[in-house]
Order: sequence, then structure tokens, then C-alpha cells
Amino acid sequence: MDSKTNLESIVTKLAVFDIEASMNQSNPEIKVKNDQLIEIAHALKDDQSFELLLDVIAVDYLTFGDVDWKTNTATNTGYSRAVKPTIIPEIDDTFEDRFAVFYQLLSVSTNQRLTVKVFASESNPPTVPSVVDIWSSADWFEREAFDLMGIHFEGHPDLRRILTDYGFIGHPFRKDFPTNGNLEVVYDEEKGEVVYQPVSITTRPSVPRVIRDQDD
Amino acid sequence: MTESNLKLNFGPQHPAAHGVLRLIMEMDGEVITNLDPHIGLLHRGTEKLAEIKPYNHSIGYMDRMDYVSMMCCEHSYVLAIESLLEIEPPKRAQYIRVMFDEITRIMNHLLWLGAHGLDIGAMALFLYCFREREDLYDAYEAVSGARMHATYYRPGGVYRDLPEEMPRYEANKFISEKKVKKLNYNREGTLLDFIEDFTERFPSLVDEYETLLTDNRIWKQRTVDIGVVNPERAMQLGFTGPMLRGSGIEWDLRRNQSYEVYDELDFLIPIGVNGDCYDRYLVRIEEMRQSNLIIQQCIKWLRENKGPVMIEDHKYRAPKRESMKHDMESLIYHFKHFTEGYSVPEGNTYKAIEHPKGEFGVFLLSDGANKPYRLKVRAPSFAHLAAIDEMSKGHMLADVVSIIGTLDIVFGEIDR
Amino acid sequence: MEQRGIGLGLNTDNDLIDQQGAGFIVTSVDKLVNWARTGSMWPVTFGLACCAIEMMHAGAARYDTDRFGVIFRPSPRQSDVMIVAGTLVNKMAPAIRKVYDQMAEPKWVISMGSCANGGGYYHHSYSVVRGCDQIIPVDIYVPGCPPTSEALINGIIELQEKIKNEESIANG
Repeated sequence: MDSKTNLESIVTKLAVFDIEASMNQSNPEIKVKNDQLIEIAHALKDDQSFELLLDVIAVDYLTFGDVDWKTNTATNTGYSRAVKPTIIPEIDDTFEDRFAVFYQLLSVSTNQRLTVKVFASESNPPTVPSVVDIWSSADWFEREAFDLMGIHFEGHPDLRRILTDYGFIGHPFRKDFPTNGNLEVVYDEEKGEVVYQPVSITTRPSVPRVIRDQDD
Repeated sequence: MTESNLKLNFGPQHPAAHGVLRLIMEMDGEVITNLDPHIGLLHRGTEKLAEIKPYNHSIGYMDRMDYVSMMCCEHSYVLAIESLLEIEPPKRAQYIRVMFDEITRIMNHLLWLGAHGLDIGAMALFLYCFREREDLYDAYEAVSGARMHATYYRPGGVYRDLPEEMPRYEANKFISEKKVKKLNYNREGTLLDFIEDFTERFPSLVDEYETLLTDNRIWKQRTVDIGVVNPERAMQLGFTGPMLRGSGIEWDLRRNQSYEVYDELDFLIPIGVNGDCYDRYLVRIEEMRQSNLIIQQCIKWLRENKGPVMIEDHKYRAPKRESMKHDMESLIYHFKHFTEGYSVPEGNTYKAIEHPKGEFGVFLLSDGANKPYRLKVRAPSFAHLAAIDEMSKGHMLADVVSIIGTLDIVFGEIDR
Repeated sequence: MEQRGIGLGLNTDNDLIDQQGAGFIVTSVDKLVNWARTGSMWPVTFGLACCAIEMMHAGAARYDTDRFGVIFRPSPRQSDVMIVAGTLVNKMAPAIRKVYDQMAEPKWVISMGSCANGGGYYHHSYSVVRGCDQIIPVDIYVPGCPPTSEALINGIIELQEKIKNEESIANG
């Protein structure tokens, strides 16, 4: 396919950097190192003419591959639906390579797409260099990734919360944050204002998360 | 006495705010010096909720993201799932999807035109545009049962084939038989006849809207040279769709990175010159006319070619209801499909389509389970709204309303 | 019937009127006041999400709300009904309470759509208020996702029925 030759040409032109290239289901993808990201981004924009940064996606790999119900062997009980509340994993600081950031790039002049994957640093908070000086659209995308996943972008001029509530504590899309959240809002008649109280519902999975082989 | 800039709060409840937008404006008299949009007033956590539901259960969330152009958002999600599963829908399903995508494009542009006109002051246009939208809502309802959130596209095709009959008006004590017969003139045949009648009437209706606005002095004064974006800056800011085409860049995913059956269809892509609000208005009006042509070509193909609208593989399609009631295997497939769903192989993908507002992309990362591991939606309005500060510097307050209108933003997809 | 009979003027004792219910004159004035109130209910535009589009369709040409006397007003100070159309999010909750407080009495609230009724499709989310009745008192709930424009007009008519059954002057 055309993307494959494009990927090979990108890999040869960026051979001075330490990158791993692969073809995922639809787009060519390169995995780069955290400290080389800015130089590679400059090279991609200026030499390879990837003018558009379409999206910055943050992923938390903490529960990758976890299931609610192991189904390799036959059971005589099945899965009891909506009985146990959802299990929320413990906050794990020792997990390696937990946060990754995917950049979706588009080249209008050469009609190519590219995905760039970089793992955030192991520090707390996890950090990734900001590409806002290279592509202006990264401004709000990085703010969103910081808000929802807690990844710190070094060099971003105005990194503050964008989607969640004013004064929200926590990063909602991390796997150790419950889907229901921790606080909910209600109107207090006595105080005459809207106040926060602990959340009063629990989510119980009615459909278990299972991993099945395609040929089953 | 010291003079300082005025800091004004615009929204979140405001008739011109297009939903829930809160703008903190710093103004020097009437001229804007700084604009800070506060979004997140419709942040519902869709992507987090999608992680606890099987793939098919989240198709409804996609409808509710950009709630003025529903089926296009579903399309992007369904294409992402299909690319991970490595399946392809049958040809008839692809034509149905393209036809409804273009119907959705017309719906979106009609609402954009009505709301933009209403904000700027052309209030009669609102009612005309909504009258056309009602006909398109009838098409959605005939095919899926719901006027707005259809949940019609599924991985592997579409849920069911086009109906042979349209719902009709009935006579009662307020409406006579004769009047009902006049109202039902385009509902006597199949859904395709109804849509064909719409496409025949539509060009003259667009002519009406253009007569009202295109050469209108007031409209031109309020939109020409407002919110000008030059082509390089447009690409830097991540613009896509009519925002990019209005600045002169020839980029349309239907032409450059064709998906479904767009490479077999014949249509033109309108490009602007100056990059101001007026050019974007002209681009969208012309896009409506071109969508009309595409729908006519699809109707012709769909009339001539019958066939399946969903792939045969039992893992991804719901079995027929009659066979489910007789056959044990069908019952098991039905149960498994609607509860647990199918498992998607490990991998990640990013699929984008030419949504009426720009490029709507869906990033799907799967670890092999029946629920997505990470779903991220790339909403075009998010990148467009981020640019509002740059576009409105130096303009006046009334121009901010024009700029918000021309960006064509919808908060369902910005906040998700 | 018995209450009306007593209140027909046979007994002018005020205590008795309070105990037995409203009189003939008061109920007639009540009817007039309720007719005026239901004949021109002006909602404040509070469209949040998808239900707002159905609300706009209800106000457009096919399902015309103007024939019921319903005109959408941009300011809460000039309106007497608030139609909460769409998902109410934690961040928006103080704003909706402010808008509700700015409306003058008598005021009513119609909760439109399942998100405003009880959280709806987004019930389990961390940032959604599970029903706008956590924040403001609601008179009529209109179910649907989104409710069709006809369902919203049905909801408005139900509210009119509810107002007609209120004894506004009798209750003070």
C-alpha cells in the first residue's frame, strides 16, 4: 500500500533518531523517545511537511488486558450480573510505561497520515515536551490531555483545566478514577447555594469485560 | 482616574451562545483585546462511559455528540470498529450510508444557516431552514424510528433496509380528506420516492435563501472581512472542513482519502478565496447543492441494485427475529450479540470522515476485549473554537457573534 | 360541591371559608387568572444539548408553539417557565440555579428529556447531575431521548392543565 512506502521513506529520513515503525490497522505509526520528540516534530513539520496536527490522545495502560470474567474454561455458575460493584484499581506508582501520548498528523500537500507514539516520563506527574510552538492546534489538545489524564506538558504557556469543573480534584480518565466520580452536586435549601456531597450511586457491571479469541 | 479594560462575561446562558459557551472578554471600549472561552459546561464524560459498555452500546453516544448531524458521527465510530475487525459492509449498505451522510450534511448546514442568520439578524431564515429539516427528520424516522438519534449504522452495515412505505397524515376533525391528500402527495411511495421529491424541490429553496442573503448589503457588511484566516495559519490552527476550504486550501476527505463509495460519485468541492465569514458562507451553501446531487446519484443506484445491508458473519449481525424464535442457535447468537457483543482484536486505529463541520475522527485502542480500552473522539469544533481568540482580536463585540456563527460549533462534540 | 355551596354567600364567617375552601367569587377569579397564565407562558431559552434542537423544532413551522401563546424569551426576568432541555452538568449547576432564582413568581419548570429527568444515558458519569430536580424544583417531566416535538407540546399542555387546577388566589 502507499502508506507502507511512505512509512519506509519517513523511517529512512529520520534514521538518525531512535524510532520504531509499524503499520497499525489503518495508519503508519512511529514510536519515538520522550527526549527526542521535539526534534522529530520539527523534522516532521519542516522536512516531511506534516502541517496539520489533528489530535493529541492520552492513554493510560494501567489495566490493559484485565478482564472481569475469565472464560477459557467452562463454568457452571456463569457471571452474576450487576451484583458486585465495579472494581477500581489501586493507584499504582510503580507501573512502568503507564502513560502514552499519540499524535495524529496529517500532510495536506502529500496526502499522508502519521501516528506518533511517545511514552511519558516516569516522574510524578508524568511529563511530555509540548509541541505548541510547532503546531498551534496543540494548545487546547494538550490542555485537555492534562485535565483528563494528568500528563504535564513542559513548555506549554497556559496549562490549566479545560473540561472538568472549576476546582475539580483528580484526573477523570485515569483507570484508578471511578466512573461515578467522587463528588456530586445538589442544591442546599438552607445555605441557598449549590454544594458538593459524596456520590450516592455505585456502578455494577451488567456485562462483564471478557477477552475472546476471534476464532471462537 | 485610571482607565482599564472592561472584563465582560458572555454566557453560559445566552441566546447567541450556541449552547453553553462562556466567554470571558477583555475589551477596550467596544473592541476586543483578549478572549478566553470557558468550555466544559456540557462535559458528560462520554469517553469514560464508553469504556464500560460493549462496542455497539456506544453507538448512541456518538449520535449525541454532534447532535445536529447525527449519522456522520456514528459513521466515523463504525468505520473505526470495522477497521479493527477487518470487515467491510456490503455495497448497498455503503450507498445507504453515503446517502444518509449527505442528508445529514444538508441538515447540519440548514441549522447552521438558520442559527447564523438568527444571530446576525435575518430571523425569517430560521423558520424556512427548519421547515426543510422537518422533511429530513421524517426520512430519519422512517428508516430508524427516531427523529434525531437514529443509531442506524452498525459495524458490518446498517441495521435494516430502507422501508417500502412512508408514514402518512390521517384525516381528522380538524383536517379534511382533501387537505390530507395534498399533504401526502410525496408519501405515497417508498422512502426513496420521498427523498427524491425533496431533492427536486431543494435547489429552488437554496435559491430562495441565496436571494435573501448573498447580495444583501447588510449581510455583506457583517460578514465580509470578519474573522479572516490565511491558509498557512488555518493549517497551523488545525482547521478542517469548510473552515479550511474557505481559506483556499483544497482538502476534502471525500476526494483526497475516499472512503465508502465516494470515489464512484460525481461532485464538486467548493473553495473560498479570502478566508472570511462571507466565503465560508458561500462554501457551505454550495456544499448543500453538491450534497443534493450526491443524494440523487445514490437514489438512482439504490433503486437499481437490491441486496443485503449487513454482512453475513453471525458474530456481528443480529439474527432475524423469526429465526430467533424457532432456531436454538439463532437464539444463542441473538443473546450473545445483544449482551456481551463481539470481541475486537488488539490494536489501535484512527479513522476520520468528512463531517459537515470538518474532520471528525475516532481513535480506538483495543486490548482484545468486548469493551473499548480507550475511545477518543477528535471533534472538529474543538480545534475551531480554540482559534476564536486569534480570530476576534481587534474586532467588535457584534463581530464576535458573527465569528461564533461561522465557526459552526456544537457543544456536544466540543465538551463530549 | 359542598364547599361551594357553603361559600355561596350563606355564611360570611371568614373562619368557615378558610376551613371549607374557596368561594364562588374566588374560584371565578382563579379561573380568569389561570386562563391568562396558561394562555401566554413565556419560556426562557435554556437549551443545553440535543433536546434543545427538538425544542427549536417545536417552535418552528410544523409544530408551532406560538399558537399556544408560548414565545421564547432570552431573559429570565421576562419569562415564567423554564424548559431544561439537555444534560445538566456539575459545572453548569450554579448557573442554572442563578437563572431559576432570577425568574419572578409564579414560575414553573419543565424537565425535558431523560438527561434532565434523571441523568439519562449519562447517569453513571462523574460529571453529570442525576436529574435537574437535584438543583431546582420541577413541575412536569417529559420523557424521551429526545422527546419528539409533539411530546414536548404534550408536556406544555400538561403544565397548562396543572396550572388550571391550582387555586392560586385561594391559596394566597
